[in-house]
Amino acid sequence: MENSGASQHRILTAREAGYVGCRMCGRANPVGAHVCTRCGSKLPTNGRAGLQPVWAWLIAGLIAYIPANLWPMLRTSVFGRTQESTIIGGVVELVEYGSYGVAFIVFLASVMIPIAKFIAIAYLAITLEGRTRLSTHDRMKLYEVVEFIGRWSMIDVFVVAILTALVQLDFAVAINPGIAAASFALSVAFTMLAAQSFDPRLIWDGPQKAGHYGKSGTKS
Amino acid sequence: MSDTEEPTPRPAELQVLPPSRSAWRNLSLVWLVPIAALIISLALAWQSWSQRGVQIEIVFSSAEGVNAGETALRFREVVIGSVERINFTDDLANVVVTARVNNEIAPFLDESATFWVVRPEVSARGITGLGTVLSGVYIAGAWDDDRGTPRTRFEGLERPPLAAPGRLGRRITLRASDGVGLGAGAPVLFRGVEVGSLETPRLTQAGDAVLIDAFVESPHDQRISSATRFWDTSGFSVAIGTQGVSLEVDSLAALLAGGVAFDNVFEGGEPVPDDRVFDVFPNEPAARRARLSSRGYGGVRLSVAFGDTISGLRPGAAVQFGGLEVGEVSSLSAVVLDPERAPGDLELIANITVDPVLLGLPSDADTAATLDFLETAIASGLRARLATSGFLSDRLTVELASVPDAPDASLDRDAQPAPRIPSVEVDLPDFSATAEGVLTRITELPIEALMEQAIRTLASIEGFAADPALRDAPGAAVDLFEAARDVVTGPDAIALPGELRGIAADIRGMIADLREDQALANLSIALANAAEASADFAVAAQQTPALVDDLRDLAAQAEALEADKLIRTAQAFLESAEAIVGAEEAQDLVPGLNATLEELRATLAELRDGGLIANANAAMQSAADAADSVATAADTLPSVTQRIDNLVVETEALVASYSAQSDFNTETLTALREITAAARAMSQLAREIQRSPNSLIFGR
Repeated sequence: MENSGASQHRILTAREAGYVGCRMCGRANPVGAHVCTRCGSKLPTNGRAGLQPVWAWLIAGLIAYIPANLWPMLRTSVFGRTQESTIIGGVVELVEYGSYGVAFIVFLASVMIPIAKFIAIAYLAITLEGRTRLSTHDRMKLYEVVEFIGRWSMIDVFVVAILTALVQLDFAVAINPGIAAASFALSVAFTMLAAQSFDPRLIWDGPQKAGHYGKSGTKS
Repeated sequence: MSDTEEPTPRPAELQVLPPSRSAWRNLSLVWLVPIAALIISLALAWQSWSQRGVQIEIVFSSAEGVNAGETALRFREVVIGSVERINFTDDLANVVVTARVNNEIAPFLDESATFWVVRPEVSARGITGLGTVLSGVYIAGAWDDDRGTPRTRFEGLERPPLAAPGRLGRRITLRASDGVGLGAGAPVLFRGVEVGSLETPRLTQAGDAVLIDAFVESPHDQRISSATRFWDTSGFSVAIGTQGVSLEVDSLAALLAGGVAFDNVFEGGEPVPDDRVFDVFPNEPAARRARLSSRGYGGVRLSVAFGDTISGLRPGAAVQFGGLEVGEVSSLSAVVLDPERAPGDLELIANITVDPVLLGLPSDADTAATLDFLETAIASGLRARLATSGFLSDRLTVELASVPDAPDASLDRDAQPAPRIPSVEVDLPDFSATAEGVLTRITELPIEALMEQAIRTLASIEGFAADPALRDAPGAAVDLFEAARDVVTGPDAIALPGELRGIAADIRGMIADLREDQALANLSIALANAAEASADFAVAAQQTPALVDDLRDLAAQAEALEADKLIRTAQAFLESAEAIVGAEEAQDLVPGLNATLEELRATLAELRDGGLIANANAAMQSAADAADSVATAADTLPSVTQRIDNLVVETEALVASYSAQSDFNTETLTALREITAAARAMSQLAREIQRSPNSLIFGR
């Protein structure tokens, strides 16, 4: 795939020229340098960030995502009657009340997007080996979408935080965050870190070189 | 690893990889994050798993208001768990509520544990569980502080238990003829103080009575002894007695919800066993009268056969021994003596129950000991006989009394249905006819004697009036005047001052006028003048103030001039005058006074001629007529007596109609039941509202 795209415009990459770009400041450092000569940030030994952090953050995010769905997200007490609702439970409740739009938004932000992110990051990490139907460009776009959309998953956590802060009317109505709110926030943070630690240049390096540079990643 | 910018070609460097760089060395530190997340998640999961508590099942007949995942389990109003799910028993007869209870509490859930659903309740005694209207119902539990064998399945109670396990007090069983007014939760009162409560009444096996469990809190439970009697305080009582009609209502709550009260009716009650059943008497007087704490319990059953009629003897009548109630008549029956020879010859049997303790036997005396005692007593003349229970009453009691000359008899231990005490007949003629007995008593009242006395009194009045001595009264006055004249004409009377003489002359002049006019009216004016004059007289003769006063009185009374009064006043005046005249100073009265008296006497004589005595006689005659009328009236007394009889009979019927089974009572009870039903409906309404508050808003 990459060959077909590259064959049209043959470009000399920095890597082929024996340089490695700093992800912080963009300076091209000679391959083998441990520290960026301009900004002093650490450079990956192989010239490319490994896949290990990606997988680590991703798995951490997945682990945090399980309690986020099992435990209650909100604890609402109305006149002493306490009700705990999980994410899915809340969505079901909204559907029962007929608020399909809100239910869809919650479902999208809290369930679909996180799961899609997990799948997308895992897909990107796995397809570095080459067996893929998406072009390099599409994968790059996918990566950017994932990185962009990641922060929006925090909308749930914000809603909980705002409700908790505003709705504290003692006995009448009180809303408190459940343990799932923290787990969900952690899960979102972990997946964002996973997306961030993914080095998009690995996509461009192509399958033949990914085996060399992503050696540590393949081990996990 | 990679080549540097060297101008001169050199042999390619060997790619050397560090041999020690194992797979583990390649691992990034980032892996600590998922590991930590995993550990934390697992720890949380394990914690919640281990702390989720013990699962228990509580079986209720209805899970009204209980929601899975929402309804809390509380112990002393502290949440100790929550309901997880609700299902049915296999036969769909009951609801199984599955709940989780905290691990710390679970060991205490042994067989002492009870659970019930707390709902809002509106009753005559108040409103309870109001908080659950908003927060929803919860399941409350109670258990003692012993760690018994933990159980996981419990039978839920329909109502809060009478006494929470672990509460100090005593559980007793009461027996009542019916459960009206003895609803669950009704109070047990001791001198008006609530010391316990009742549970739901239940029928006995035979269905002839109602058993109610009651709980009396410590320390009041120590008051319960063999001397304790319970009575029903529900409703109200109307009593018609010698003090009039009295209506007693304890409290509105007692009126609607009922309740029982108890007291110790005599001193020295013994502790009673736990299985003792106490009877609930219909009212306090009945409870205080009853010596037997409980029919059929603690008493010795005996029977007495009576040859003559026992009408008036009723179940519940007292059995007296030496004037003290020792038991009561439990039932009455009739037995055919000899069916073959005389089919109509009945023997009337009263079954009685006697408390050995009240007979004076030790408290542990059993039936045999009591019978031994009675056997000895009967050998020495103890017999049963009927006796009246009081004045104006046709009720009979059974009296155990010593009859000295009774024929020989003995205790028949084998008699059916109970050992038989020999009886003696007593001549009680007015037993059989109730009305007759009452009327006899009324006719025996000393009405005739009273009337006779009245007639005699009137007769003596008449006799007094006709007494000749009374007619001689004016003569006596003449004598008096003469005596007075004797005194006045005494030598000392000369010494009276001149002024007094003048006054006397005035009086004489006035009386002369009086005589001239021949009218009594003028006497009034004359006496008024006399009164004026007597003022001077008083100044002149201070030694005679009483005389002056009497003169004034005379003048005053003359205003209202009536002949007899005038005479009486004049007489009094003359008496006073005599007294004064008798005094030393009066000796000095002038002869003018003498003349005055002379005139007075003349006046009196005229008055007498005027027919005073005749009038008095006429007055006496009319008094005699009056007495005759009274005598005539007395003749009609028998019919009055008859009416009183009728009245008594009617009163009796009235009193009887207020007894237990009368229409009035029934209607009152019906009314009260309707009030209770209304209260229940209110309670149901409150429950309904609590169950679905929306119905208030949306209607239904």
